[in-house]
Amino acid sequence: MKGLAQLGAVFLAAIAQVTVAPLFPIAGANPQLVLLMLCLVAAFSGPVPAMVLTPVGAVMLGMLSDRDAGLLLLAYLPVVALGALLEDAPVPLSHAAKTYSMTLGAGLVARSVLAAGAMLGGAPAAIGALVSDVLVPGVFIDMVLLTLCYVPLRLAGLRGSGFRLQRGRYFASL
Amino acid sequence: MLILNRYSWWLGAMVGLAILLGIAGQVGVLTPVQGVFLRVTSPFEALLTGIFRPVAGVLSSAGEIDDLRAENARLRVENEGLRNELAQRQQDAQRIRELEAALGLAEGDTSQSRLAANVVHRDSSPFTDVITIDRGSNDGVVKGMVVTSTQGSLMGTVTRVTPTRSFVRLITDTRSNVRAAVLGGEGADGILRGNPGRTLTLDLAQGDIKVGDTIITAGLGGAFPYGIPIGTVTSVEGSSQDLFPKVTVEPMTRLGTATTVLVLMSFVPETLDTGTGP
Repeated sequence: MKGLAQLGAVFLAAIAQVTVAPLFPIAGANPQLVLLMLCLVAAFSGPVPAMVLTPVGAVMLGMLSDRDAGLLLLAYLPVVALGALLEDAPVPLSHAAKTYSMTLGAGLVARSVLAAGAMLGGAPAAIGALVSDVLVPGVFIDMVLLTLCYVPLRLAGLRGSGFRLQRGRYFASL
Repeated sequence: MLILNRYSWWLGAMVGLAILLGIAGQVGVLTPVQGVFLRVTSPFEALLTGIFRPVAGVLSSAGEIDDLRAENARLRVENEGLRNELAQRQQDAQRIRELEAALGLAEGDTSQSRLAANVVHRDSSPFTDVITIDRGSNDGVVKGMVVTSTQGSLMGTVTRVTPTRSFVRLITDTRSNVRAAVLGGEGADGILRGNPGRTLTLDLAQGDIKVGDTIITAGLGGAFPYGIPIGTVTSVEGSSQDLFPKVTVEPMTRLGTATTVLVLMSFVPETLDTGTGP
């Protein structure tokens, strides 16, 4: 049931990405709602659902926006990996700090990958525009939206999940 | 890095899947599935758009009220000028008809078949500007067809078609290239490209180009018919010694807020390669 709810949330995020997000640009940039949803799934349900939903979200958004689903999948890959790296960070971090850092890093990587894909497809290699028009405002929007989602969820009593992939979860049933 | 070893199988599988998806997208294997998916999602899109578009409209109007006032004043003046011009044109047209009748000339067929379509999606970022319209191959839309605003200004071309939806790459997309010319300019043509930030520049443009000139499609290359209005020159940078001045063009239509567009059904593009069109 929880899995279906997460799938529905990613589905709605993909639709909102092409219907709602373009209506509210900030400095020309839009939020990455699917990416944000994957970060929230990873933060509250752990890496396994995020690992399953990452390709699902990429394919859904690819079909809705006519973007290359493969490129979107590559752009979303760092969510899980960054979460795992932050879990073993040398400095102990709170769950909120890990979630924000993961979203920040994943947002930067995802937008850079998508921009690189556009440049390879013929767009001018405008690095300055990438930073000023894409990365900075985009990450700012992501942080605002994450706060709007994360804080109420924590206040509602939802417990944060660990970002580490537990071996036992896979091998216990074997 | 040790922790990532646990994910190596997954990362490898996802990279492999990404490559497969990239190939499938290029080949078009996913197009039928995409058509079904878009049909399934259409009620959800309509719901979300219905809720949020009015909100965005109110916020946008509130934030741009000074700009809108200035624009309104400018448009009033422009409207008056256009009305005068229209009256003159009507007189000219009447005069031409009378002369044609006197000379016994047959009137050519200048009708353009256009299909109205609603914008249902928008994928917009500084590097990408693609809209989805609610018309597809079932309505006769094919890849490469030209899309204009309801007023007839160029918006983009169709890059992918499903039975019920089509994807349109707008002229402000950074992958867009349109052979364009200055209306009335002798030999002043170039390649109109989209830039990050949704601006347009006329590259490789030679000839006498001035601020305020109207840019139209040049009709070269077969991707666009001649004479579709695109925009107005807003700045020309560079000295007379420069081979190619930097020409910035403002689109005639507000691409970001268009809700209805027209697909030019009567024009069959000669070049269907997406790399040469918007």
